[in-house]
Amino acid sequence: MLTQVIINGLLKGGLYALMAMGMSMIWGVMNIINIAHGSFIMLGAYITYWLFVGFGMDPFVSLPLSMAVIFLLGWLIQKYLINLVVQADIFITLLLTFGIELLINNLALVFWTADVRKVQVGYGAANFQFLGATVPYVRLAAFIMALLISAILFQLMNRSRVGRAIRATSQELDAAKLSGVRVGNIYASTFAIGTSLAAAAGTLWAILFPISPTMGGILTLKSFVVTIIGGLGTMLGPLVGGLILGIAEALGTNWFGSTYENLISFVIFLVVLIFMPRGILGSRR
Amino acid sequence: MGIAVVAVAAALPFILNNFTLRTATDILIFAILASSWNIIGGYTGYASFGNIVFFGLGAYTTAICMTTLGLGFFPSMVLGGLLSGMYGYLVGLPILRLKGHYFAIATLGLAEATKALVQNLNITEGNSGMYLPIPDFSIDASYRFFYFTSLGVLLIMLLATHFILKSKFGYGLIAIREDEDAADSIGINTTLFKSAAFGLSGFFSGFAGAIYAYQQGFIKPEPVFAVTSTVKMIVMAVFGGIGSLWGPTIGAITIELITTYLRDYFLVIHTLFFGSIIILAILFAPKGIYDIFTGRKKLGIVYFLDNIRKNRV
Repeated sequence: MLTQVIINGLLKGGLYALMAMGMSMIWGVMNIINIAHGSFIMLGAYITYWLFVGFGMDPFVSLPLSMAVIFLLGWLIQKYLINLVVQADIFITLLLTFGIELLINNLALVFWTADVRKVQVGYGAANFQFLGATVPYVRLAAFIMALLISAILFQLMNRSRVGRAIRATSQELDAAKLSGVRVGNIYASTFAIGTSLAAAAGTLWAILFPISPTMGGILTLKSFVVTIIGGLGTMLGPLVGGLILGIAEALGTNWFGSTYENLISFVIFLVVLIFMPRGILGSRR
Repeated sequence: MGIAVVAVAAALPFILNNFTLRTATDILIFAILASSWNIIGGYTGYASFGNIVFFGLGAYTTAICMTTLGLGFFPSMVLGGLLSGMYGYLVGLPILRLKGHYFAIATLGLAEATKALVQNLNITEGNSGMYLPIPDFSIDASYRFFYFTSLGVLLIMLLATHFILKSKFGYGLIAIREDEDAADSIGINTTLFKSAAFGLSGFFSGFAGAIYAYQQGFIKPEPVFAVTSTVKMIVMAVFGGIGSLWGPTIGAITIELITTYLRDYFLVIHTLFFGSIIILAILFAPKGIYDIFTGRKKLGIVYFLDNIRKNRV
């Protein structure tokens, strides 16, 4: 029984990690807390849903497509909107991304109605037994996909030119400018990568859970929680934070009941913020 | 000037119909919230994204006092304010050590945690919500009652803020906003001052929650603790002018009139418009309309472009 709970939590934690990775990147590099993060998760989920319903495209196949579309959208939003106020007081960017969230969610509600939808893949029920626990293949596949995308991002950030430019910009803005980094474009790319990670998480979310235009709000909050638990400024932080949150939630709801899920995550969040604000793996800055 | 505004505000109930008076009351409630936010976000410089928690606590305290304890409205309202204020002060002690974004999301998390707690407690009747006693006077009289109560609370709080700003406490808060380390080094007890400011912000927000609860007659965790309302009060404060006494009230009047109009005429897409207003206000008038109209030499397109030029990359 307990193994089942922990495995469920771990598999969900992989998705949390992927969500938070996008948020953590945007936050760490540009000092922007993207309140609209959940909206991009929602958009990714809906792109997958419509490709599945319209063309019968498998979610694992449409994943790169949904990431690409949201990458482009994120790039445009950062380049032509957020870049205009990125140096202003902190609550200015918070409010701006909140405005973007309202806009996206309302449009989704108008076009797609408030109906709760679900991507029903044919292989959804197939599962295997592991240590006495039932593990659906699709959940495991989503988990592995989340880890794979994280690994690719890791390589991208460490090895590629763009990755180096992003890290340089985050460490020393003026020095990066002087070395010829085009900060405006790097910021746009960072935001685009962050939102495309959100879209990937949304795609995987749509395979496992029902989706609706208002699903994003709580996922934005969960991404905060994971980012804080793991700590800013490291690539591994969101991964560790995501798995911890997934397992903690699963254990907590197992002991106290499912209505306590949110209370548990926010109490963990506040405790971590107060007692170790840099998170478990956070770097000193 | 101030007296003239108050006179007009006091005369409004005798001119407006009940529907419009209700909108005016909503404006006053938001003016209290935005002005409360201004104490911690504007004067002290700590951008709280969870001030709605005080509104919710005030509303729930009032509901519990009036139903379970059988108290009258005014004692319940004061208790609601006191409880919210205490909560702000006590929670402020640990979380006001965080700065910038960390403080902002800590307060957001605080509001969400409190909401989740209210959803799970028996005394607050969880997600099913609470009914309050219905005021026992005529419909016309009740509209006026809520209007004058809100107006009274707003005026008292603005007056209090006015005097606080001229006290050692007020100067201390502004010193903290400008440079916290420097404030600390000249002997200001920054932890105490910040927590007191957060408590004060909570105290007045609690009153707004109490009035809202009694006026609605029924409260539920979701609308009462909605994050959107926190953002709304910040937008009002920003739009009116942060760190000025009247700014948040001016912002509340403007924003609430616009959103009410949008809700009445474009029900389905009113949040889309509200989102667009936030974006445009942030882009073109980040210092608020107060700044546009006071002592600006260059107005028009140049002013707006200047704002953008300063903060872009």
